[in-house]
Amino acid sequence: MVTTHAPTAPRKKRPMRDLRRRRGEIRRSIVPTTMLWVIAVLMAFPLLWFLLSSFKPGGELFSYPLSFIPREWTLGGYEAAFERVDFMRYLGNTFIVASVSTIITVVLCASTGYALAKYKNPWLSVLGLCVLSMTMLPGEVILNPMFMVVRDLGMYNSLLGVIMPSILTPTGVFMFRQFYLTVPDELIDAARIDGASEYGIFLRIMVPLARPIMLTLAIVSFQWRWNDYILPLIILGDPDKFTLQIALRSLVGAENINWSVLLSASVLSMIPLVALYLVFQRYVTSSNINAGLKD
Amino acid sequence: MKRHHLIRSLATAAVGALVLASCSGDGGGSDGGGGSDGGDVVLELVQSGDVNQGGGYATLTERYFEETGVRVDVIEVPNDDLRTRLRTASQANDPPSLAASPSTDPAWTDRLLDLTDIFNEVGIIDTLSVADPADGLVKALPTTLTAVGMFLNKSLWDEAGVDYPTTLDEAWTWDEYVELSDEVVEATDAEYGAVMDGSAHRLRAFLYEFGSEGVTEQPDGSWALDEAGAEALEYFKQLHQDGVMPQSVWGAADDPSATFKSGRVAGYMSGVWQIADFQETITDFEWVSVPLPQQPVRATNYGAASWIVAFDGTGVEEETLDFIRWLYSEENYREYCEISGCLPVLDGLEVSYEEDEYAFQLYNAEILESPPISAVQTTDGVLHGYQGKSVDSEPLQDETVKFLNNEQSLEDTVENIGRITTDQLAD
Repeated sequence: MVTTHAPTAPRKKRPMRDLRRRRGEIRRSIVPTTMLWVIAVLMAFPLLWFLLSSFKPGGELFSYPLSFIPREWTLGGYEAAFERVDFMRYLGNTFIVASVSTIITVVLCASTGYALAKYKNPWLSVLGLCVLSMTMLPGEVILNPMFMVVRDLGMYNSLLGVIMPSILTPTGVFMFRQFYLTVPDELIDAARIDGASEYGIFLRIMVPLARPIMLTLAIVSFQWRWNDYILPLIILGDPDKFTLQIALRSLVGAENINWSVLLSASVLSMIPLVALYLVFQRYVTSSNINAGLKD
Repeated sequence: MKRHHLIRSLATAAVGALVLASCSGDGGGSDGGGGSDGGDVVLELVQSGDVNQGGGYATLTERYFEETGVRVDVIEVPNDDLRTRLRTASQANDPPSLAASPSTDPAWTDRLLDLTDIFNEVGIIDTLSVADPADGLVKALPTTLTAVGMFLNKSLWDEAGVDYPTTLDEAWTWDEYVELSDEVVEATDAEYGAVMDGSAHRLRAFLYEFGSEGVTEQPDGSWALDEAGAEALEYFKQLHQDGVMPQSVWGAADDPSATFKSGRVAGYMSGVWQIADFQETITDFEWVSVPLPQQPVRATNYGAASWIVAFDGTGVEEETLDFIRWLYSEENYREYCEISGCLPVLDGLEVSYEEDEYAFQLYNAEILESPPISAVQTTDGVLHGYQGKSVDSEPLQDETVKFLNNEQSLEDTVENIGRITTDQLAD
């Protein structure tokens, strides 16, 4: 009996060299990966503690020994927070302030930065220096004059009064200026030769080019405005116009702090920013400029 | 096309958002904090407080609306920023109808309504009467009394089998307190014998107990801490060095209330407002109010938690005065105290508290037995506002922290307290 074997392709052997290399890579990555996980856990720990504490009853928050996981889960803090704070109104106000400020900030900073980078005029340089010098001033220094201006313009006690002082961010102007300096002037010259108007060059060529900067500034600006406290405090008098940060601070009494309400309300106030991060995390992580910026 | 679309979208969004924002504003200064809202009178009461204080106002203003049709909007402002809020409102010529402020402020004292008639009618404790020296008019009424007191972790003391006084008939000194609390710490898993709020208000009570009069004006117009006060500060530092008190509270602004609530501290020197909070948030051990230790003086430090002031030029001055008069009527004010869990400023007013009545009685008794100096701090704050003196820091507290943290000697501490206070208050 003759048995025939179908010819099979010779089995592709994984070269030993590749295997060794992979093992080596795994060995080398164990230490840094472990370290990263340790750091991640350490970083997440306070946040998790904060989140879990918002589900603890008031009596359990400080009782010793402290427990990471609530011994008794409760939504009492959240219920009290909703009872004490008109969340939807304050969220709405904060959202209007943050989003409108952000949109105008990006538009203004982009155009100002472009002008400072691409147009030659001695007065523009002076203006640029003035704008840049503002980055060196602490916000508190110009708070009082800013309040006077807002008041005299008739914007006291309105959301517009909170929006307008913050729309031209020196840091944003600087970011755009530095970016547009890297764009070759030849591009603009070519567009001019092709008959494009100055506005056309800016809007149709420069703005699309600067999209990463726009997104970065938009994210950072939104975060600044969302967390802003001092400007709304001095501008807004009517509680119907309060932003969320003022409403949250109002939960802190003269001597007595209701921590379970404050924790729950703080968690709720974080949700929109976390949502923003989840949507734009690609840009946030790639920009990574937040830490070095000042408003 | 895509670019055009992007630009159009951005422009539309910006314009739309601007319109939205403009609509949500009222376009500037209002009518002065109160006014007519479709024919109804609306008053604005700016105040800062925890849920108890806020709850008291909320209940009363609701009833006031039912009785009179006048709406009072209670505006909660963060406590640390209430002063800033009132200053900017005054600068913007948009003060509220009335406010419960920690003290008066030179920025707006010249536009306060005269409350002398109401003060005379309702019978506020005499020691809390402060008239403007310029015209003799009372323009600020105390809202509630606040006083310094002592709380013990009853469970720890019972576990250790150590006795403690519960009435003013049984006095104890700080030396005795330290000795007894040491026994508690040794016999239980407690870590500290005592903790005290990091505030000048509490520290003044401590100084008074040592026979000091605190930081007072001298014949030459300067301000200085007396010798008994210096001794008290030295004793206070020793408590920290010996581990009776945790360094972290005064030295590093740790939360004393949380430290006590952890159940590892035998005693807590704090204020009357803690009672309502403890009733809700301490569930793991029993606590008790006890007399303050004395060395040898029996003294607390008491005053107004805040002062009701009413502003002129709001257009609703009469309605504002009517509301204040109504608020201080015996029946309404009693209800406010009962809801808020606070001590009354009306002389002889009986208030019944649902729980821990004995603790409120103890506080009241300590106030009555305290020397006159114990009420001076709070009235001074109002007086300085009338006189145009702006006190923006607490040298007694700030310099003591430096002393506790070994940044300066006792002599330097005493000198600095006097010098900085003089800078702030001397004419």
